[in-house]
Amino acid sequence: MTLNKETLMKYKSVIGLIVFSAIIAIINPRFLYTSNILNVLRQTSINSIIAAGMTFVILTGGIDLSVGSTLALSGAIAASLIALGMNAFLVIIIAILAGALIGAFNGVVISKGKVQPFIATLAAMTLVRGYTLVYTDGKPISTGYEQNAEIFSKIGAGYFLGIPIPIYIMAAVFIIAYYILKHTRLGRYVYALGGNEDATKLSGINTDKIKIYVYAISGALAALSGLIITSRLSSAQPQAGSGYELDAIAAVVLGGTSLAGGVGSVLGTIIGALIIGILNNALNLMDVSSYYQLLAKGLVILIAVLLDRKENE
Amino acid sequence: MKKTVALLLVLILTMGAFIGCSAPEGEEEGKEKIGLVVSTLNNPFFVSLKEGAQAKAEELGYDLIVLDSQDDPSKELSNVEDLIVKGVSVILINPTDSAAVGNAVKAANREDIPVITLDRGAEAGEVTAHIASDNVAGGKMAGEYIVEQLEGSGKVVELEGLAGTSAARDRGKGFNEAADNSDLEVVARQAADFNRTKGLTVMENVLQAQPEIDAVFAHNDEMALGALEAVKASKRDILIVGFDATDDAKKAVADGEMAATVAQQPKKIGSLGVENAVKVIKGESVEKSIPVDLKLITE
Amino acid sequence: MDKPILEMKGITKEFPGVKALDNVNFRVIEGKVMALLGENGAGKSTLMKILTGVYTKTKGEIYFEGESVEFKDTKESQDKKIAIIHQELNLIKELTIAENIFLGREPVNSLRKIDKGRLYKESEKLLKKLGVDEKLDTLVKDLSIGKQQMVEIAKALSLDAKVIIMDEPTDALTDKETESLFKVIKELRKEGRSIVYISHRLKEIFEICDYATVLRDGQFIKEERVKNLTEEKIVELMVGRKLTEQFPRIKGQTGEISLEVKNLENEYLNNINFKLNKGEILGVSGLMGAGRTELAKTLYGAIKKDNGDIYLEGDKVDIKSPKEAILKGISYVSEDRKRDGLILGMSVEENMSISALKNFTKSLLKIDTKKEANVSNKYVDDMSIRTPSIKQLVKNLSGGNQQKVSIAKSLMTEPKILILDEPTRGVDVGAKKEIYDLINRFKKEGMSIIMISSEIPEIIGMSDRVLVMHEGKITGEFLGEKVTQEKIMRCAVGIEEVRL
Repeated sequence: MTLNKETLMKYKSVIGLIVFSAIIAIINPRFLYTSNILNVLRQTSINSIIAAGMTFVILTGGIDLSVGSTLALSGAIAASLIALGMNAFLVIIIAILAGALIGAFNGVVISKGKVQPFIATLAAMTLVRGYTLVYTDGKPISTGYEQNAEIFSKIGAGYFLGIPIPIYIMAAVFIIAYYILKHTRLGRYVYALGGNEDATKLSGINTDKIKIYVYAISGALAALSGLIITSRLSSAQPQAGSGYELDAIAAVVLGGTSLAGGVGSVLGTIIGALIIGILNNALNLMDVSSYYQLLAKGLVILIAVLLDRKENE
Repeated sequence: MKKTVALLLVLILTMGAFIGCSAPEGEEEGKEKIGLVVSTLNNPFFVSLKEGAQAKAEELGYDLIVLDSQDDPSKELSNVEDLIVKGVSVILINPTDSAAVGNAVKAANREDIPVITLDRGAEAGEVTAHIASDNVAGGKMAGEYIVEQLEGSGKVVELEGLAGTSAARDRGKGFNEAADNSDLEVVARQAADFNRTKGLTVMENVLQAQPEIDAVFAHNDEMALGALEAVKASKRDILIVGFDATDDAKKAVADGEMAATVAQQPKKIGSLGVENAVKVIKGESVEKSIPVDLKLITE
Repeated sequence: MDKPILEMKGITKEFPGVKALDNVNFRVIEGKVMALLGENGAGKSTLMKILTGVYTKTKGEIYFEGESVEFKDTKESQDKKIAIIHQELNLIKELTIAENIFLGREPVNSLRKIDKGRLYKESEKLLKKLGVDEKLDTLVKDLSIGKQQMVEIAKALSLDAKVIIMDEPTDALTDKETESLFKVIKELRKEGRSIVYISHRLKEIFEICDYATVLRDGQFIKEERVKNLTEEKIVELMVGRKLTEQFPRIKGQTGEISLEVKNLENEYLNNINFKLNKGEILGVSGLMGAGRTELAKTLYGAIKKDNGDIYLEGDKVDIKSPKEAILKGISYVSEDRKRDGLILGMSVEENMSISALKNFTKSLLKIDTKKEANVSNKYVDDMSIRTPSIKQLVKNLSGGNQQKVSIAKSLMTEPKILILDEPTRGVDVGAKKEIYDLINRFKKEGMSIIMISSEIPEIIGMSDRVLVMHEGKITGEFLGEKVTQEKIMRCAVGIEEVRL
């Protein structure tokens, strides 16, 4: 009996996801078509990859509001370099490094400058968005139609063994993130830092370095998402990714990670991201009017988080 | 105290650094100044509008001061106030929202500075002229084109713009008028917020839900281009009609990927704006409502 | 004659994985002072939390004035006139005395406006009764701890409480304040109110308590009239065995110098000079704010030094961070384990290994969890840390066991110099002895130990040498055998300076 209840608690988010999916499938059987499941996973990949990075940040007790802007800038850099004819693989590396650099900058401001993460990344969000507009002159940048653009388009639009490439990327990101958080020193320090920063520092751990790492990871993953979107559309939008930081935070929190830091996991995050992705998909499938869609999303998030709180008490 | 002074100093220096980056057209002495407040420069359409206005101003030898409201009505109001302080002769406003712009227009009225609205109208205040393309007519034009292409009947998806905006309302209204007068069936009506990425995901989902789709009408080209990617990936044959005729969309039409796009002429709206402003400055009379032609681009 | 107003029978409380209370009985007798005794972790707080409705019990019955009752929240127990005064006082520092007393129950007039006149009149009556001479509009933050305690008691009286629970009320009080508290308690007893008195200070029990109930490991051990008990007997009941000599001082090796500090200075320290030998316990005494913790943190690299040199085994070193200190063999066990010693939400094992994780890394940056568990288990056995498993979260351990985990964390870095800051603060009698034994063992193994403590008997009993600090300076240095409490105090308050 007790064992039963504990298992139930442990997998409550998974169970919630399954029940939620079942209800949607009953209302609209098309939801369960293989093509739609792949479709949902591909759409979820964008938010979930950002949310994976956000999980690191939130576990340390921080927050990263700059991911949406970072996504846009990295995408714009990638599109413009592809249009110039640069090798696609090189472009991917440069764009991800750009994202990591923005993140590391956040980390330095937060750790060395002792600025609240909310404020530091809010400033970065505005700054990077501004620079993206300057860089793109406010217009979409097309990747062009050369051979390198063809290769580049595979990241977002390609398939391997009948499954879209973004799904593989998402899986890889989560496997690596899980490994880092669960099995490496960096992961242990991330939880420690979120659990008690003073104690972690006094335990001889360079907490500044850990902070710079987690924000760099968040920036790099935002950039990776930016690459997928840009590749998918064969063009970079200057306004891409606005509001994505909130979707990512919602996914992390839905996944049971505490905004106070120290508690949570990247497995929860992927479930949180799936709930949001499935909800978006289902609302479209059922042709719900756009006014009601926002209502439904807000309600689902509220209910999920409240249920989580209740069970944690 | 010292800290505050230092902070102010830094602020001033930073502002100074950015002056060099601002628009190249300097404020020369003696020239009459025209102000242009744009709803957002975060959208290619309004960037084109601005460019049309700038080109015309240069041609006619006037100073054009452009301010960006970033889709924020309060920013819009302060932009108008700034222009009043700068002593412009006419203010061209491209409102963020027809209702919210009222106070900004009234502020200019109080100083007896004539106001010309571009693209979107103003519900309050006194406006000398309104220059816009007719969105309802444009939506109807797109709808009629789809009816014609599908020979009177078929299943259509409508990708709506940001809920609550006038462009989404008007284009939708025109399109549905056309659809209602035919045997078209609108099988899905979903908002994709004028955004290309959302156009992609929403269309992907709609494609999953609807086994049969003959055409898509999107309230702007960004959404149409997003939908195009989704349709291409699904390998289905669907007619796509957009709105705005942006460069990317025109290229897609030329390549035969999109069927058509309704061309608003943002450059023309901008240049007509400046032209009429100059007329007002010279004391000539102008039309109260100046329509800008729309045209359907199909190749 | 002795009629119980409140009875708790067969109370059991289970937390996931832990049985905090097992079939415990507790009585409160009308008009008596009831001592509730037990080591940290014995279950006193849990029992009181059940009584005041913070926790719900798993099993058992509570009878109040003969009626079976069930408290679902603190409000319900308050309604039955049961009040608790927590160790960390529950006052709003920015409000006045009067506002605090009637917080949430302010007298209002017909317009729902707070009736200041009545508020002050009622408060004044209460304060007068308690013999507190303070203006009613004084902000609580400007009061001494003793006076704040009185405000709490006034709050309890304003509820007309029949049972008042006091959790370690004298912990932060001066002798004089304690005396006046006792006077008040005796007064309340005379009025027929009952007091539940929780304290570690056995002397106080004999001074004011009528009955004593002893808990151990979540179980009820005994209820007895205090006059039938002795101090030794109580300790025996609490610990479950006889305590032999408190401070078993052992002979260490001496001679070789492991640490030398010359002219160390910064914001908190003023020209600090001392040497530390291998296998020596150097006690550091002084009053609060004398700079003892700051000295430790400066040596540990957590506070920057402005001037002076530190030599480790003869080599000059420059330590800029705790990380470097650990690499060089200096480790520090914090005085405040909850704030900056432990990560309460992490497991015993994770806390122990965090400073030494480098030693547990395999290929692919993977932490060797097997080795980590083995080593952690070894420390748990070695230091007799009482925990169901190394996976247990540290926050679920008692104070003494938390302290041992904190020490184990330092030991895993294999330090040559171990700095212990208040190693027995908030630790109960039995665990204290165990910690002393451990410290002596480290000493025998050749470790150099700096032990900072506010408990002078502990300093005198354990140290080979004692340093006394006053306002950032070392004002006294004594050999352990020759030092007395009085000598330490004279240096600690700065009226005398003695160096060896």
